[in-house]
Amino acid sequence: MNLASIIDRHDGDRIALIDGELRLSYGELRQRVDAVRARLHEAGVGIDDPLAILAGNEINFAVTMLAGLGLGARIVPVRPSSPLPELERKLASVRPKLLCLGEAGAWIAESNVEIGIPTMDLGVQVESGPPPAVVDRDPDDLAFLMLTSGVASDAKVAMLSHGNLAWAQDAILHRGELGLQADDISLGVLPFSHIFGLNLVLLATLKVGGAVVLQRRFDENESLRLIKEFGISTLAGAPPMWQRWSQADGPDDAMASVRHASSGAAALPLAVFEAVRDRFGIEVAEGYGLTETSPIVTWSRGIKVKPTSVGKVIEGAQVVLVEPDGTPVDVGDTGEVVVRSPGVFKGYLDSPGLTDAVLTDDGWFWTGDVGVFDDDGYLYLVDRIKDVVIVSGFNVYPSEVEGVLMQHPLVRGAVVVGEEDLDTGETVVAHVLGEVDSSELHEYARANLSRYKCPTSYRFVDELPVAPTGKLIRRELRS
Amino acid sequence: MATPAFRFEAAPELPGADRVSKYGFGAVRQLVHRLWDVTIEGVEHIPANGPAIIAPNHLSFCDSVFVPAALPRRVWAIGKGEYMDDWKTKHLFPAMGMIPVDRSGGDAAKAALDTAASVLDGGRLFMIYPEGTRSRSEFLHKGRTGASRLAARTSSPIIPVGHKGTLEVQPPDQFTMSTRLHVQVNFGEPMYIEDFGDPNDPRIHRTFTDAVMFRISELSGQTYVDTYAAKDDSPGFVSSLEDERQARPPISVPTGRPTAPKISSPKARTPKPVAPKGQTLADNVIDLRSDVISS
Repeated sequence: MNLASIIDRHDGDRIALIDGELRLSYGELRQRVDAVRARLHEAGVGIDDPLAILAGNEINFAVTMLAGLGLGARIVPVRPSSPLPELERKLASVRPKLLCLGEAGAWIAESNVEIGIPTMDLGVQVESGPPPAVVDRDPDDLAFLMLTSGVASDAKVAMLSHGNLAWAQDAILHRGELGLQADDISLGVLPFSHIFGLNLVLLATLKVGGAVVLQRRFDENESLRLIKEFGISTLAGAPPMWQRWSQADGPDDAMASVRHASSGAAALPLAVFEAVRDRFGIEVAEGYGLTETSPIVTWSRGIKVKPTSVGKVIEGAQVVLVEPDGTPVDVGDTGEVVVRSPGVFKGYLDSPGLTDAVLTDDGWFWTGDVGVFDDDGYLYLVDRIKDVVIVSGFNVYPSEVEGVLMQHPLVRGAVVVGEEDLDTGETVVAHVLGEVDSSELHEYARANLSRYKCPTSYRFVDELPVAPTGKLIRRELRS
Repeated sequence: MATPAFRFEAAPELPGADRVSKYGFGAVRQLVHRLWDVTIEGVEHIPANGPAIIAPNHLSFCDSVFVPAALPRRVWAIGKGEYMDDWKTKHLFPAMGMIPVDRSGGDAAKAALDTAASVLDGGRLFMIYPEGTRSRSEFLHKGRTGASRLAARTSSPIIPVGHKGTLEVQPPDQFTMSTRLHVQVNFGEPMYIEDFGDPNDPRIHRTFTDAVMFRISELSGQTYVDTYAAKDDSPGFVSSLEDERQARPPISVPTGRPTAPKISSPKARTPKPVAPKGQTLADNVIDLRSDVISS
């Protein structure tokens, strides 16, 4: 097998990718991939070589990725907006054979920065010889090295195989009307450097023979225009995107063509779910997954959507909620989400210690997320285990405290972290965005939270660390 | 102190409705308040009418005597069906409000929950130990979520209860109860699940249960540990927090995962008083070696 072959069987005239004025058919896509495969081969890229691609959601990203996979290389998608020091650090951890630069990565070539890695400008057309054949790969052979977001101390590179990604694609295809179809048109706005956009939007749509409309830079008004113009049927976004779409300029029937709307990467606030439903008449189905699970674990496509739930476990995956010692929790109780599926990754690159902390010999991946199932088998997520603040032995989930503080009319944002405390072990500290008196806020917290969950200190800040996916980066506020 | 005021509440649909139960229960209450120095705080939090879930900490077998005896209304709880096979217990326990539930069947938990719900739906008090079993470590353990589900299902408040002194009355290795000791029973304010979030959100049960346990820890003065009470625990020792686990858990744990910290013995633990000789109850009077079925 080889993930590069997903585009082989489709009718050559069908449209695969749309980027601005350019409509690329599957036939043309195959030609371009062949040409770049030849070029990469001449540049010395071969089996198991890490191949970094610094590009946005552009055609050359898809082409170079498929070309590299065809050679058996391990693709390293790099977020083009990464600041240079972060970029250098991440590249150093994977030591790529070659760094391919798309339009969004051209600044590297232009800035004369010395990064010590050979680069290839994808914007330049080069004549190459005939392409080598696509190499056959075992399902366990590595296909991607995914750079997970993380500071220097905990940056991790997740190793995903051809089999991992293929399973996740198949999990959302091939399920009759529930799955992605060949006539689906997806909006490619989630970054392809992230597993959600990469596997469940770009690769899955190409595999089924659908079309991906590329949106290189997020702009909510432009999204609505593209959705209406191309009749987007499958729309996947992160919560901040959904929030901005719900308020974007455009007609209220802009999403009339959307058959399936999904959200992932962070919790979708109920207010956003309701705003989208009220304006566009569609219910955003939340899913759940991690880079380490390729990413799909649960989804809500084709089933009744329950707001704030991430849906049901997808066929082929097993999810158990456990106590820290591995004992399954009582029915209906919360526990750490532990996953076993063919999508579970092969470990972190060069980090056996980190791998051993999350992955067992028999294939259970401990996600670090706390969740609970309802009586119908829908999963609801609570928080990240490592963010839990332990006050006098009691667990305080920052998301709950943040949720309460956010309900105060004068609070625009809140991040809650734990700090060491001599008496209680840890104590709850709130970082708050908003013009509100701390004693008033404390009264409010006392009225709505158990005493041990109430912040003991409030720090007013001008901005809060939020990742592009909508996740709060609490670690940046821990002292 | 004098036996506090009490309303018997006949409940024809529940066990213990007969005259024997009425006098039997009254006698046990009288006896408790004569033989022990029982102090009760917060009894005004028990509603005069209507349902409520009584949720005490659980340290000794005799908790099932002292908490009911401290209540101003009759209370029911679920106990093992096996008690009905023993002549010593088959009359006394139902009279004390125990509803026998057969634990052998596959649907035992559901049967227990349904029985509990019927008690509450009838506007009565129902007692359940949220820890599920006696705390052999003497810490307050993580609560099971059954009481919270019951609260959501029957729209009943939970009344947290923290008591002290029962362990001295009847330590685990002692068959009888030592008299003339002080037992303190503290009732907290009723807690309503709606005050903690949407009762239809499955996340509510852990939130609400933890809030109840926190209140119990304040009322009992116990240190809380976030693991379930287990039979291998011993005073000051929580077996699940030890590195060496005897039983292999069903889901394997990553080898590189840091293990939970060990819990040390609380500093303020008071030594157990030795029971004065000749002041124990007769063997067959009260022997509530009943771990009430956990939620």
